[in-house]
Amino acid sequence: DNMHRSDNRGSWEFQPEDTLTEETGNFPSTLAQANFKIMSESWRQHRKHVFVLSEAGKPIYSRYGNEEALSSTMGVMMALVSFVQAGGNMIQSIFSDEHTVVFLQKGPLVFVSVSATRQSEQQLRRELLHVYHQIVSMLTQASINRIFERRKNFDLRRLLFGSEKVLDGLLDVMDSDPSFMLSAVQCLPLPSSSRDALSHILQKAITPDLVFSFLIANNRLVSVVQEKTVLEDARLKPSDLHLLFNLIRASAFQAGEIWMPICLPLFNHDCYFYAYVAYLDPPECTVCLVLLSTDKEAFYAVAECKRKIEEAFASQNALQWVANTQLYYVDDISVANLRHFLYKPSKVLDHHRQLSQEERIRLLDPYRNMHNRIHSTSRPLKLIYHSAGKETLLAWVTSKFEMFACFTPLVTKKSAISELTKLLRWIKKEEDRLFIFIYAFPLTFQSQPCKRQSVTQNVKK
Amino acid sequence: MASGMQEKQYTPSLLSFFIYNPKFGPREGEEEKKILFYHPIEIEKNEKIRNVGLCEAIVQFTRTFSPTNPAKSLHTQKNRQFFHEAEENYWMVMVVRNPMVEKPNKDGKPPTVEYQEEEIIVSNLFNGTFSRAFEAGGVELLTQKLEKFFYRYLQTLHLQSCDLLDVFGGISFFPLDKMTYLKIQSFVNRVEESLSLVKYTAFLYNDQLIWSGLEQDDMRILYKYLTTSLFPRHSEPELAGRDSPLRPEVAGNLLHYGRFLTGPANLKDPDAKFRFPRIFVNTEDSYEELHLIVYKAMTAAVCFMVNAAVDLNREFCEQLDSLVGPQLTLLASDICEQFNINRRISGPEKEPQFKFIYFNHMNLAEKSTIHMRKTASVSLTSVHPDLMKILGDINCDFARVNEDEEIIVKAMTDYWVVGKKSDQRELYVILNQKNANLIEVNEEVKRLCATQFNNIFFLD
Repeated sequence: DNMHRSDNRGSWEFQPEDTLTEETGNFPSTLAQANFKIMSESWRQHRKHVFVLSEAGKPIYSRYGNEEALSSTMGVMMALVSFVQAGGNMIQSIFSDEHTVVFLQKGPLVFVSVSATRQSEQQLRRELLHVYHQIVSMLTQASINRIFERRKNFDLRRLLFGSEKVLDGLLDVMDSDPSFMLSAVQCLPLPSSSRDALSHILQKAITPDLVFSFLIANNRLVSVVQEKTVLEDARLKPSDLHLLFNLIRASAFQAGEIWMPICLPLFNHDCYFYAYVAYLDPPECTVCLVLLSTDKEAFYAVAECKRKIEEAFASQNALQWVANTQLYYVDDISVANLRHFLYKPSKVLDHHRQLSQEERIRLLDPYRNMHNRIHSTSRPLKLIYHSAGKETLLAWVTSKFEMFACFTPLVTKKSAISELTKLLRWIKKEEDRLFIFIYAFPLTFQSQPCKRQSVTQNVKK
Repeated sequence: MASGMQEKQYTPSLLSFFIYNPKFGPREGEEEKKILFYHPIEIEKNEKIRNVGLCEAIVQFTRTFSPTNPAKSLHTQKNRQFFHEAEENYWMVMVVRNPMVEKPNKDGKPPTVEYQEEEIIVSNLFNGTFSRAFEAGGVELLTQKLEKFFYRYLQTLHLQSCDLLDVFGGISFFPLDKMTYLKIQSFVNRVEESLSLVKYTAFLYNDQLIWSGLEQDDMRILYKYLTTSLFPRHSEPELAGRDSPLRPEVAGNLLHYGRFLTGPANLKDPDAKFRFPRIFVNTEDSYEELHLIVYKAMTAAVCFMVNAAVDLNREFCEQLDSLVGPQLTLLASDICEQFNINRRISGPEKEPQFKFIYFNHMNLAEKSTIHMRKTASVSLTSVHPDLMKILGDINCDFARVNEDEEIIVKAMTDYWVVGKKSDQRELYVILNQKNANLIEVNEEVKRLCATQFNNIFFLD
């Protein structure tokens, strides 16, 4: 079946129509007619299609369906982009009753999203940007640009072979995790004393050129430690963390360790870090250690750091703290009508949630819609209160925080407000436990003084 | 961010408008045949063909994903194109330039997406079905008709002042007491009986509707035409002074103030030629072509619709004039008097306490205390356009689901906007109470509903 992901993705031959617009500059309607017939109903039903192609119209990735079979569809997309470009203009989006089509061009790559999720154009474009960044995280922007400068017709699939599942994974997680909408990272709630102790262990296990150390448990951030001089230059953005987490998830290894190059696009899109990744608790594999170095040859030195960390964990029984973590539930706060909420203090990374997985994913749609309205570039809002059939939703932005909440549908405004106040008070009380305030971290490194140099200089490509 | 350069503001404006049918020129080299109408005319032929080609390609591309719901609009950095398949294979496309604020290194606030929809509908009233016209006279006739109609119509479009009220396309009803309403009813009945040719009638006062015998959808379009096109064209003479040459010829006719707005401008001149515009109604199931007679006396206007097959001659017009003129004049002054009495009772109209817009989808009734004056060319609203756009956003959100909902929003300027949807009714209220909280706003709106809409249930 041509429409499902086939194993032989590696067909390097590409036969596009070389000129998609004829000499008269007319758009050949025959081209547009052709691909209309081959799509199956099941392919059409997908909620969100994402396509990646090169400026030359060569297919690179398609979320659903074999991108080879879709090459003529991608050819049409490229033709639309160039046609509008030829008029000194830039295509942005197409709207129909059921779908929104969004275009994004970054350098020599073109991204297209065809979505029935009713997300806004800005939100869809941001997702495409994440896809671009994920590709950059695997190749670096500099090499992508350089490759296409030399050969416009290059087939990027040759370099991305085997990485489709990384992109698949990213798209799946963007559709189910509100972290992307909020540009935030979810933290594991821990008493600050425990978190400090864990960070201390990470801080002591260092080696030259080790720049970042992360501890992640169940996809939530437990601790992050950053080399002091690097902190002064730049801070990690949540988006980069998401890409890192996604890469690790997609590599799907269990026991053992990995040493892989990774670029953090928002931090520095032209150079690689080298990531050492290992689980500290095999076979459950829920606690993951990630150490980033700028030295390609440093594998053994970094592995040694891991060993030191493991020892320290064992001696203090640190893994227990992580296992014992209490995930809080709304019941704790005794707010009868509040079903679910997301809270993000400004400047920092976190949010949290309750409810079943399914319901949370369903809520993502209305949350995203409110997020879009509240952060509109032309008419932003401070507060939205929406009573609908299934539930009552609230979105609220202040200088201190941003939050989204879901109440039972029949809640009165008085109750909603009073429960919200209760919730906010509770969050304030538990702040230390819930969030990681990055710049509140002490970060002195001991032993050999590191030369103060910016990360880029130290890169070996 | 401070810079010496002046900010230039460009409002949204119509760049081009065209109609095409791909079936008319399916083969290579025949592309020009597809184009039935193109404005502006001056555009070079090849560029017209290219633009039409792009539209076709986009529609076909979106059919890949949803065969029955192809593209409605295309957004590019500089403009937006809106597509509408008026009838099978007949496509209308409108290209609007994006509003821009030119600052150094910065550009474009996106405009509201809503306003383009209404333009499309009005044309159907006057063009009937394209396919019918095609059968009748072939493509040439169709292109001629399109050219005549759209050339004039496009001039009445004022995109920059379109807002939510235009999206609704509602009808403003004139509030009347029962007695006066009955008087009007009986007037209509009498006229329809005496002039058996008249099929449908509509009665308006002061640009607002009182009674209509037409189907709702047709009346909506006719109303729009009357209030944005026909009435404004004829309003000046009435306001002209006694000695102005614009003053309508009333010599020898001191019995009444009635006159024809369509048809014979001057009944006294036996040689003057005249004709009535033709309209098409009930185009869904049956198909009727009618003459549109609009007759006015002071601020009251009556529309009589007669089967187009009938030839309306001078004699008929004189008969109508002598029958309707005096009665309508009397009626008009009656209504005016009654209106003034009511006003005196209810007190002088001060600044309306609540700023709101109300629309009922079932009877198309609209009411707005926000629009102070809405004519063809200008829509004066007493609120900031950004707030109007927020109303538009709420309306979009309401349209997603078919349930009763309420959305309350606090804008950056601390204005509160409340939108309520109940059954087929929508109410939007704007409150300028900066220090109010959600509960207080809720109470205010409840008060409004209690006084103005007490027989309608809105969510609490």
